[in-house]
Amino acid sequence: MTIALGVLQVVLLVIGAPLLRGIVGRLKAVLQRRRGAPIWRPYADIWKLLHKEDLVPPSASGIFGLAPLLLLVTSILATAFVPLLANSALLGSTGDFILLVYLLAFGRFFLALGGMDGGSAFGGMGASREALVSSLAEVPLVLGLVAVAIQASNASVVGMTEWALERNFFNISAVHLLAFLALGIVALAETGRMPVDNPATHLELTMIHEGMVLEYSGPNLALIEWAGAIKLSFMAGLLIALFAPWGMATTFSPAALGLAAVAMLAKTFALAVALAVIESGIAKLRMYAVPDFLGVAAAFGTLAVIFTALMKR
Amino acid sequence: MGILETTAGKVLSAYSVFLFLTVLAQAAARRFSTNVLLFSLQSAIIAIQVAVIGYHEKLVEAYVVAALIVLLKVVGIPYAFFRLIEKLQSPREVISATSAAESVFVAVGIICLSYAAVRSYASGVHAPEDSLAASVALILTGAFLMVSRRKALVQMIGLLVLENGIFLAALTTTFGMPLIIEIGIFFDVLIGLLLMGLFVFRIRDTFDHLDVSKLRKLRG
Repeated sequence: MTIALGVLQVVLLVIGAPLLRGIVGRLKAVLQRRRGAPIWRPYADIWKLLHKEDLVPPSASGIFGLAPLLLLVTSILATAFVPLLANSALLGSTGDFILLVYLLAFGRFFLALGGMDGGSAFGGMGASREALVSSLAEVPLVLGLVAVAIQASNASVVGMTEWALERNFFNISAVHLLAFLALGIVALAETGRMPVDNPATHLELTMIHEGMVLEYSGPNLALIEWAGAIKLSFMAGLLIALFAPWGMATTFSPAALGLAAVAMLAKTFALAVALAVIESGIAKLRMYAVPDFLGVAAAFGTLAVIFTALMKR
Repeated sequence: MGILETTAGKVLSAYSVFLFLTVLAQAAARRFSTNVLLFSLQSAIIAIQVAVIGYHEKLVEAYVVAALIVLLKVVGIPYAFFRLIEKLQSPREVISATSAAESVFVAVGIICLSYAAVRSYASGVHAPEDSLAASVALILTGAFLMVSRRKALVQMIGLLVLENGIFLAALTTTFGMPLIIEIGIFFDVLIGLLLMGLFVFRIRDTFDHLDVSKLRKLRG
C-alpha cells in the first residue's frame, strides 16, 4: 500500500506538473487582463515538440543529447522524496535533504554543460549565469533545510513533515517562518521565476534559462520543458510538505486520502495564486541585483539556523 | 471566551516573531513607500499587542493607548509620509550605504545581539525574553536605518522605528506607562515629525535633493 501510494504521488507530481505551469500562466493572464492560453497548453507544447525533428549543432558532443535526459531523471527522482497525500514517499526513508539538494544541482550542472556544448554565444552566457544563480541559491536552500532539520531532529523530508504535522498552525516558531522565506526565495530562483529570470520571454539579452536551452529543439526541448515544469511542482510540493502539511492523510482509508487530495489541491492552488501575483507585481531584477536578492534569502536562512539555538522550541 | 483566551495567549507568544520579520524586511526594502508600509504594519502589531495586554490585565487605559497607536502610527503618520512623497517628488529608491543583503545581515546580527544583551536581564524583571529582545532589536535597527540610509526621509522612518522600540520596551517591562505620559509621548513624536517634515522641505529647497551625505557645502 505504501509503495502504491508512493508511486501514485510521483506520477501525480510528474504528470500534473505541466498542468500547474498552465494554471500559473492562466492566472497571470487573468491578473494582467489578458485572455491567456488554456491551462492544457503546456501538454500540447510538449506533445508538439516530441513530434518535431531533433536538430543537433554540428559542434555538439554526446553530452548535448545526454543533458536533457539526466535533467529529467534527476527531477523525477527528486519528486520521489516529497510526501504529498500521506506522510510517506517512495524514497522517503532512503535519503536525506542533502541528497535532494545535490540531485537538483546534478541536473542543473548537466544542463549548463549541455548549454555550453551547443556552441552558441547565448548558450555559454546562459550557462554561466545559471551557474552563478544556482551556486548563490544553494546557500539559502541548504541553510533553510538545515534549520528545519535541526528543529525536527531528523534529516529526511518525511521526518521533517512528520514533525510539522504534530504541531498546529499556531505553534509556528520563528525558525519555521524564516526558513519558509528563505526557501520561498530560493524556489523562485531555482525555477527561473520572475524577479530572477523571466519565463515568459524567449529572446532578450538578460535571459538565463531560455538562453541556456536556445540550441535545443524537438524532443530534447520537450524533455527540458517537462523537467522545468516538474521542478516547479516539486518546489511547491516541498514547501507544502515542510511548512503546511496539515490535512495529510494519517490512515490509508479512501476518505482520508480523498480529503488529503482536496487539501493538497487547495494548497497548491494557493501557491499558484501567490506565484502569479508575485510575477505580475514585481519587475525582473537586473542581473547584478540578483546576488543581493539571494543574499537576503541567505540572511533569512542564517537567522533561522541561529534561532534554532536561541529558541530551543 | 475560551477561544479568545487562547488566541490572546498565542498572540503574546508569537508577535515578536512578526516584529523581527518587519525589521528584516525594512532592512531589505529598496523603496521608500515599502518602508512606510512596513512601519505601519509594525505599529499595527504593537497595537494588537497593547490591546491583548489590556485584555489580559483588565486595563481599560490600554485600549485607549491601542486606539491612539492605530490612529497615529498605523494610519496618520504613514498617510502624512505618502503626502510628503507626493509633494517632494524625489526618486522613490532608498539610497543606502550598505547593499540590501548586507543590511539584512546587519539586522540579523542586531537580533542576535539583542538576545545576548537581554538574556541576563530578562529573568530579573520577569519579562518575556522574546519581546524584550524584540524591543532592543527595534531600537538598534532604527538607529541602524538612521545611520546607513542617505536620504532624510528614510532617516525619519528610522527614528520612528526606534521610538516603537522604546515604547515596546516600556510595555514589556512595566505593562505600559500611565496614560497621560503616553499621550505626551505621542504628541512629542508628532511634533518632532512635523518639524522634520518642515526641515526636509527646507533641505529640498536649498539643495534640490534629500541626500544627507552631500550636505557639506554651505549655500546662502
